Amino acid sequence: MPKVRSRLLVALVSLALLFVNLNANAQRNTIDTYAITNARIVTVSGPVIEHGTVVVRNGLITAAGENVSAPPDARVIDGSGLTVYPGLIDSYTNLALPEASPSPSPGAGRGGGGDFFAQTQPRPTPGPNSTRPPGLQPEVMVEDVIRPGGAEIVAARNIGITTALTLPRTGIWMGQSALINLSGETPQQMIIVSPLAMHVGFTPLRNGGYPGSLLGVFSSLRQMMLDAQRYREAMQIYERAPRGTRRPETDRSLGALVPVIEGRMPVVMLANTEREITRALDLGEEFKLKLIIAGGREADRLSERLVKQHVPVLLSLDLPKRTTAALPEADPEPLRVLRERVEAQQTAGKLAKAGVRFAFESGSLTNMSELMANAGKTIENGLSATDAVRAFTIWPAEILGVQNQLGSIEVGKIANLTIVRGELFDRNSRVTYVFIDGRPVDLRPPRNEASTASPSN
Amino acid sequence: MKRFIAKLLLLVIITALPLKATRAQKQPETLIRNATVLTVTHGTLQNTDVLLRNGKIAAVGKNLNASPNARIIDGTGKYVMPGIIDCHSHSMLDTINEGTLAVTSMVHTADVLNTTDVDLYRELAGGVTTLNLLHGSANPIGGLNTVVKIKYGRPASEFLFPGAMPGIKFALGENVKRSSTPNQPGVTRRYPNTRMGVEEVIRDAFTRARDYKRAWDEYRAASKNDKNLIPPRRDLQLEPLVEVLEGKRYVHAHCYVTSEILMLINLADEFGFKVRTFQHVLEGYKVAKEIAAHGAGASIFADSWAYKIEAYDAIPYNAAILTRAGVVVSMNSDSDERARRLNIEAAKAMHWGDLTEEQALKLITINPAIQLGIQDRVGSIEVGKDADIAIWSGHPFSVYSRVDTTFIDGEIYFDRAQDLARRPELAKERAALEQAEPNRPRPQGQSPQTPRRRPSGHADDEIEVERP
Repeated sequence: MPKVRSRLLVALVSLALLFVNLNANAQRNTIDTYAITNARIVTVSGPVIEHGTVVVRNGLITAAGENVSAPPDARVIDGSGLTVYPGLIDSYTNLALPEASPSPSPGAGRGGGGDFFAQTQPRPTPGPNSTRPPGLQPEVMVEDVIRPGGAEIVAARNIGITTALTLPRTGIWMGQSALINLSGETPQQMIIVSPLAMHVGFTPLRNGGYPGSLLGVFSSLRQMMLDAQRYREAMQIYERAPRGTRRPETDRSLGALVPVIEGRMPVVMLANTEREITRALDLGEEFKLKLIIAGGREADRLSERLVKQHVPVLLSLDLPKRTTAALPEADPEPLRVLRERVEAQQTAGKLAKAGVRFAFESGSLTNMSELMANAGKTIENGLSATDAVRAFTIWPAEILGVQNQLGSIEVGKIANLTIVRGELFDRNSRVTYVFIDGRPVDLRPPRNEASTASPSN
Repeated sequence: MKRFIAKLLLLVIITALPLKATRAQKQPETLIRNATVLTVTHGTLQNTDVLLRNGKIAAVGKNLNASPNARIIDGTGKYVMPGIIDCHSHSMLDTINEGTLAVTSMVHTADVLNTTDVDLYRELAGGVTTLNLLHGSANPIGGLNTVVKIKYGRPASEFLFPGAMPGIKFALGENVKRSSTPNQPGVTRRYPNTRMGVEEVIRDAFTRARDYKRAWDEYRAASKNDKNLIPPRRDLQLEPLVEVLEGKRYVHAHCYVTSEILMLINLADEFGFKVRTFQHVLEGYKVAKEIAAHGAGASIFADSWAYKIEAYDAIPYNAAILTRAGVVVSMNSDSDERARRLNIEAAKAMHWGDLTEEQALKLITINPAIQLGIQDRVGSIEVGKDADIAIWSGHPFSVYSRVDTTFIDGEIYFDRAQDLARRPELAKERAALEQAEPNRPRPQGQSPQTPRRRPSGHADDEIEVERP
């Protein structure tokens, strides 16, 4: 009798499993196993495999190596002449946000410190019942407004970006970012981690309210963090002794800052010039924040401090360049500006040499095709090509805390792959396949890229 | 145990020795020989040597000896003067005003320092070594000030003047009530709009500060017995005002007319604090006795006036009258341009009102030092004071004189000969940089750049101007 019962059970279970499996297949309705054979594989985590196979199944990397053979159910892609990289990560963007069409930043060309100041972008609508004005609402979550699709996402994928940290760059407390894969039908499918970090910019409010200047930006940041410390303490006291303690008012803005002041949630501060970065580092030290610098154009000048304070940099590849034509009546450009533009191309190399952890980001670049060209310029100016690959893969993964899921070609990681004919930063290379979550995504012909990416240009 | 301590001491001395030696090497002694020394506090000394060692003035006298590796400067025919102190500056501030609120005591100029501001170098070239960086005059109670040594080329943290008294900017009159801001339809003007309102704002702020202090005192007393007491909110706006009430922070008050000067003196008396300096104080000569009785200093212009209604009653005798009334007077710039020639501003006080040479020199040296609470460190040439000095080619009160070398803490921060020698090298660097790829002009670029910032009169009447 027990035997019969167990047999019945096995039959039932297998039937159920079959059903589930069929159902899942029906939902996906496509092949979920791919093998890229005969390819050069830049694993990043280990040595380069000159001739090998990468197998991808159900969204994950299941095998990679020289002696790996393609499973019988896999769709095989002949990788002869192709190099497989881990999917590239753009560590600071405004991708997948509504109407995210950043205007070209006039500051960048002058090398002024105002790259992020001139942009006006829509930001997520403030949460109802916020105690703070827009621009000072750390509770804002980018997750609430992410939208799949769009020309910018296509343009990013065309150059091999599979993953992006995304957030609108306006306000002082800019809100909480999300790490997304650049593929998916719904926001939920895109999100890898949310919230990933709190974001801060040093741009004053422009609506006539406080803080209306850089001076006020710092005092308001300080005051809100002090308020959050008190909020945390008040809530702890209330929890300890709810009877006899006057109930503290709830405050979503301050509540959102509690993980920040506890050093649990990283804070990304936009800072490009030496003095902006110094201010960010000072603030980070003052409140013991888990700090990340974004922008970082002159970060190399503070290498020692960045290493000592364990602060990584999301280095913008929006390299400054002269935007004006040669006109005899114009004042000569200050020597400082001339130096800054040249030195910006050397920052990546200097950071790598000094042991500062960094990752590349596209910054406020409007034309994504410049991203790889600018990465090439950092290689011409002292960064090794290997480190350039790392700065797009494993280093951002580590800085953003997703090194177990992303950043290298290793078994068990998310199957994000960027497959290139030639070498990644070579001018003649071409991105031929991009896999996101184990599935190839459509690539547009490169010629359309520029026009789709920035219709304004 | 005693022996152990002795051994420990010896060890400390031995380990400290080489360190000291290397530091001395890095910052050699400087001996200025045979110069005319304007000590400011001890008269003018002819054919005198000044020895700088370890960042301090080590000796002043005849036929001084220096160590063999000392830097020797022949001062024959030259004048040595203490570094000039500018008691009202907005140099190296990325932004000057937080004008959105009437009380912005929570903002701090130290947060927005720009150590690369070229004005700093120009000021060094004018013999200036110390600046009082003040918040602007957009509101009755402005932000906190920062006293700096112009250590151009060093990180911001090294600029901060060690031990300088903390301070805060107040402002009264037209700038505060926005007289020069035109009414815009539909836009509510920021309170206050009258001098009566200015007084009310300041009184209200100090009343709140007093309550704030009381709330904390009560909490501190009660929390000893009750661990579940929620502390009061820390308020960055009121904390500096509590410090003012406790005499731990100086008030530098921008003002013009007598009524507002007397108003602030009365208000300060009412709350029990002192105004450290009245800034600009163009009508100060009318209430010189009252200012002296309050114990406030005055930091003024030599002959800048009539740039707005409240500046109509100014006279060039202001410095002399205030000085004779017993007020500590300084001559400030409030301008990146004027800061380069404060020596001439001081000289004017000899012409208008017959101040002595020494009295006039004090206007830009020891007097502003007193006003900032740093008179034990700088402001005169005395043994033991900081080696913040300038060597002038002639008497600093001559328009034909210029600064040859400026020292701060015994280190050279400006040297005319070095500057001239570096120019061909910089021209070569510029030529190379202009050829570099990111600096090459675009074939179709934007219109030419806006002209560089030109020197202006003074920052007082451009309160809304934000620097790039």
